[in-house]
Amino acid sequence: MYAIEAENLKKSYPKKIPLPFRKVEWVNAVNGISFKVKKGELFGLLGPNGAGKTTTIKILTTLLEPSGGDAKILGYDIRRDVREIRRRINLVAEGERTLYWRLSAYENLKYFARIYYVPKSVEKERIEELLKLVGLWERRNDLVMGFSRGMKQRLAIAKALINDPEVLFLDEPTLGLDVQSAIFVREFVRKLVDEHKKTVLLTTHYMAEAEELCDRIAIIDHGKIIALDTPEGLKRLVKDEDAVEIKVKDFNPEKLRDAPFALAIVKEDPTSNLTTLRGQIDEEDLPKVVEWLVKNNAKILSVEEKEPTLEDVFIKLTGRAIRD
Amino acid sequence: MSLLAVIEKELRMFFRYPLRVISVTLIGIVFLLQFVFFGEAVLGGRYSQILASSTGLGDYPTYALIGYILWWLFASPMEAYVWGVRRELQRGTLETNVLAPIRMIKFLIGLSLGWILIDNVLMGIVFIFGVIVFKIPVSFIIILKAVPILILSFIAFLGFGMIFAGLVMLFKHIGPLTQIFEFGVMFLSGVFFPTTVMPKTVQAIGNAIPLTHAIEAIRGIFIGKSYAELIPTIEILLVLTFFYWLISYALFKYAEKLTRVIGYGGY
Ligand SMILES: Nc1ncnc2c1ncn2[C@@H]1O[C@H](COP(=O)(O)OP(=O)(O)OP(=O)(O)O)[C@@H](O)[C@H]1O
Ligand SMILES: [Mg+2]
Repeated sequence: MYAIEAENLKKSYPKKIPLPFRKVEWVNAVNGISFKVKKGELFGLLGPNGAGKTTTIKILTTLLEPSGGDAKILGYDIRRDVREIRRRINLVAEGERTLYWRLSAYENLKYFARIYYVPKSVEKERIEELLKLVGLWERRNDLVMGFSRGMKQRLAIAKALINDPEVLFLDEPTLGLDVQSAIFVREFVRKLVDEHKKTVLLTTHYMAEAEELCDRIAIIDHGKIIALDTPEGLKRLVKDEDAVEIKVKDFNPEKLRDAPFALAIVKEDPTSNLTTLRGQIDEEDLPKVVEWLVKNNAKILSVEEKEPTLEDVFIKLTGRAIRD
Repeated sequence: MSLLAVIEKELRMFFRYPLRVISVTLIGIVFLLQFVFFGEAVLGGRYSQILASSTGLGDYPTYALIGYILWWLFASPMEAYVWGVRRELQRGTLETNVLAPIRMIKFLIGLSLGWILIDNVLMGIVFIFGVIVFKIPVSFIIILKAVPILILSFIAFLGFGMIFAGLVMLFKHIGPLTQIFEFGVMFLSGVFFPTTVMPKTVQAIGNAIPLTHAIEAIRGIFIGKSYAELIPTIEILLVLTFFYWLISYALFKYAEKLTRVIGYGGY
């Protein structure tokens, strides 16, 4: 049995509340996604803003009803067996406002233990264990309001473990965190899979995070999976060719549309008018590329060869870069 | 247990800002004083022959206090559901709760019970204040006789209020609309003056609201009517209770289903 099975999942959102007899337009968010996650696997959904990552997670966690397709969590049907699934999974949702700021860390966990029907006999022990695990035991009686972003996220993770879930979902778990907190979260998630044998599905738009952390990655764009493999497998798609990163000044990115080669914008800094471009270009072609850029008013600041990363996979598959 | 947890959480958060207790109580008192004094000024005293002949209860402060307190009891579930859901949306915690295995309806009832509990204690304070200030002739027997009617009324009000639980899940921003409705009900249900002064159609609408009949029954008890005399009123109240629980439960189920299509997102 798989931990997660998604089969041709589709979701469109109505633009208005679809009351009976009301004509409403629907916007596609997820357009037929299929994948399977084994038990004990750390699976990543990687994609740019608006790709449909959150929507997919919300469908799998029973918060949203899919418009089409099917999915099973631990063999339970997401349409039919909502409560069975909710008992066995948990979610670290996007953003920082998912806990009660006017309750203390301890009160939050106690509250969620109760609405998750955690047996009274293990409640105290588990809360203490979790608070210690995320390093918040000393701060257990402080209101969440006064916590830093990183501490809030650690508490959100503790909350998501309160029912000892078999499958844990995390939606952009390191978004907006400082470097240290992000490292803590990544290592913690990895440990959950390696030591505590949890199944984890996380979404991210940080390439490096997906590459470093995940056993397998599905790259998702415009509501579709465009590639699915291990990080190494994905990088093999671009392995033999080198990635080139070119920094230019005063270049109008609009012009890239008629470029005779594939370059994507990785970074734009409008104040200093700097643009960083990236693509896979053969050595022989490089002078031609540079020449073309110069002809289009770009001042070349640097040209660098880089190790291919998942970014290059995404560029190769879509012609665009995933950007923050 | 999970229901208690929701109630406890709400109370805990409420009392982190205890000043609100004072403001709600004061507003309640000011509102009551204003209406009673206004009524007395117009009637030229606390007793009104016209009121006595049309409703049986001629003592205006008693008349108004009963109407007002029952109106409060009526409005409190509506407020509790609507603002309970709104608060969760604003905190961003609604989805976190939906994700848990607790049933949505249980969660919502817990949310509102927390508030109703606080609200009804404050209402009690305003009631006692009113009784003392206006020297309302209330006896132990009257209170005892009123309790069963109050319980029945409250069950009716809970069902009626739950309509708003369904509505707020769908439309999210119905707070102001709810307030308008609550104040409209003051006129429709004869809270501060008899509905007989209103056009027939307005009276008909008022009759569909459980508050109208609850007020009538309690006023009846205050003027010494027996339960036997109140049977027709109680019957209507029972029918309305059944009717509104049915409607609101169906609406809630529909809203819950539709929300899973739209998403629980607030802002
Ligand atoms: N409740 C909603 N109502 C209408 N449209 C929505 C809703 N939620 C998301 N969408 C749309 O669906 C698409 C996918 O959104 P989704 O949030 O799933 O993307 P995402 O990959 O999580 O993006 P991000 O990286 O920004 O979190 C977007 O175009 C978004 O505008
Ligand atoms: Mg998202």
